[in-house]
Amino acid sequence: MDANMAIFNGLLKGLGVTLQVLIYSVLLALVLSFIIGFMSLSKWRIPRWSATLFIEVFRGTSLLVQLFWLYFSLPILGIRLPAMLVGVLGLGLNYGAYGAVVVRTSIRAVPKGQTEASIALNMSPYRRMRSVILPQAFLIMLPTFSNLTIELLKGTSLISLVTLADLTFQALALRSATMETTQIFIYLLIIYFIIAYPITLGFRWLEKKQSVGRG
Amino acid sequence: MPRTSDASLLNQEPYVKYRNIGMKFGDTEVMKGINFDILSGEKVAMIGPSGSGKTTLARMLMTLEKPTEGTIEIGGKLLWHRRANGKLVDANLKHLRQVRGQIGMVFQQYNLFPHMTILRNVMEAQVHVLGLTKKEAEDRARKILKKVGLEHKCDAYPAQLSGGQQQRVAMARAVVMKPKIMLFDEVTSALDPELVGEVLEVIREIAEEDEMAMLLITHEMAFARDIADRVVFMADGQIIEQGPPEQIFNYPQHQRTKNFLSRFSTEFH
Ligand SMILES: Nc1ncnc2c1ncn2[C@@H]1O[C@H](COP(=O)(O)OP(=O)(O)OP(=O)(O)O)[C@@H](O)[C@H]1O
Ligand SMILES: [Mg+2]
Repeated sequence: MDANMAIFNGLLKGLGVTLQVLIYSVLLALVLSFIIGFMSLSKWRIPRWSATLFIEVFRGTSLLVQLFWLYFSLPILGIRLPAMLVGVLGLGLNYGAYGAVVVRTSIRAVPKGQTEASIALNMSPYRRMRSVILPQAFLIMLPTFSNLTIELLKGTSLISLVTLADLTFQALALRSATMETTQIFIYLLIIYFIIAYPITLGFRWLEKKQSVGRG
Repeated sequence: MPRTSDASLLNQEPYVKYRNIGMKFGDTEVMKGINFDILSGEKVAMIGPSGSGKTTLARMLMTLEKPTEGTIEIGGKLLWHRRANGKLVDANLKHLRQVRGQIGMVFQQYNLFPHMTILRNVMEAQVHVLGLTKKEAEDRARKILKKVGLEHKCDAYPAQLSGGQQQRVAMARAVVMKPKIMLFDEVTSALDPELVGEVLEVIREIAEEDEMAMLLITHEMAFARDIADRVVFMADGQIIEQGPPEQIFNYPQHQRTKNFLSRFSTEFH
C-alpha cells in the first residue's frame, strides 16, 4: 500500500511537469504555425524563403537532436537555457514547423471561387482572410492539428533526456527504485490516455461546431 | 428600357470602355485588340462558342484577371492603371478597391460562403465593405432576400439550398452592394434545367427595375433576346458582330454568327 502511494505521488509530480510543457509548447507551436504558415504564403520572397528554411530545418532534423542541441550545445556558445525552456522551445519549434505546413496547405485548399467572390464584393485582403478564407481553412486544419497535438504530447516524453522530471522520467526513476515495473507502466499508460482523450474530444467538438451547416 | 439604337443614347459617353485589350495566358494569346463599350444602365448580352473569351472579358472588369495589353476605363477612371506624370503605371490595391466598388459579379458556381447563413452571406460585405451597421445591413438583406423569394431561408446554410436557390442568394448578395454594373457569367449553366427559370426570372426583375448596367454572358438565347438592349457575339477572342437583338438573331451579318445561332434555332420556333 505504501509503495503504491509512493508510486502514485511520484507520477503525480511528473504529471505536473508534463502538463506544463505540453501547454506551453502547444501554445508556442500554434503561434508559430500561423506566423510561419502565413509567411510561407506571402507574395514577397524574403518571408517566404525564411519560412521554408524554418520548416525544412525543424522538420528535417529530429526532435531529439534539437533538444540535445539546445541543452548541451548552446551552452558551449555561452547560452545556457533552463531545462523547462529547452523542452518548450524544442517541442514548440518542431511542431510549429509541422503546423505551419498544415496552415499553408489548408489555406490553399479553400476553393479559389471563395477568394473571387470576396474580391467581387470588394472585400479588403484582411477581411477576405478573416471572414471567408480562414474560417474555412480552420475546419480543414482541425483534424491534423488534433493529431499533431497528440504527437506533441507523446513527444514530451523525450524531455526527460534534458533532465526534466516529467511523467516518463518519474516512471523510470520509480521503476529502478521499486522494481514494480508492470504496475508503474500501467499507471503511466492510463495517465497519458487521460490527458490525450479530452484533447481528442475537444478537437472533435471544435470540428463539429465549425462545420455547422456544411452538408 | 433603353435601346442603343435610340438617338439619345448614341452620343452618350460609355460607362465602361475596353480599349485595345489583349490577353495572353503564358505564351497563348487568347484575345487581341478588343474595343468594347457598355453604356450606363445598358443591358448587354454576350454570346459565343466555348473558349471565345467571354469569361475572360468579364473577369478583367471584375479585376480578377489583368489584361496583358490595353486599358479598361469605368466611369471615367482607369481600372487597372493610373496616370503618373503622363505615364500609365499599374494601379495599386487602394485604387483597385476604389474603382471596383462599382462592379458586381455573379458566378456560374454561385460561390456562396458555405460557413455563413444565407442572411450573413448577404450582410457580410455590407457591414465590412460599405460600413453599414448590422441593423441596416440586416434590414436590407432581408428585403432583398424577400425579393428573390428566399426570406424563409435566412437562417439556412448554402448547402441546405437547391442550386437555383443558391444562385438567387448569390444575386441578392451582389445586388445589395448596389453596383453600377453587374456581370453575370453563365449563371444558369450549372443548374438542373427545371431550376433555370426561377433564376432567369430574378435577373429579369433586376433588369427591369434597376438602373444598373448588365453584362450577361449566356447560352439562353431566347432570354438574351428578351432582355438585352444589345447582343454581342464573340468568337476566337474577337468581337465578331454586335447590335440590337432583332438584328443579331434575325439578320446576322457574319457567317460565324449564323453558324453559331443555327445551333440554337429550335429555340425560336
Ligand atoms: N487561367 C487560364 N489559363 C490559361 N488559359 C486560359 C485561362 N483562362 C482562360 N483561358 C483560355 O482563354 C480562352 C478564353 O477562355 P474563356 O473562359 O474566356 O472562354 P469563354 O468564352 O468564357 O468560354 P465558355 O463558354 O466555355 O465559358 C480559352 O482558350 C481558354 O482556354
Ligand atoms: Mg466562360
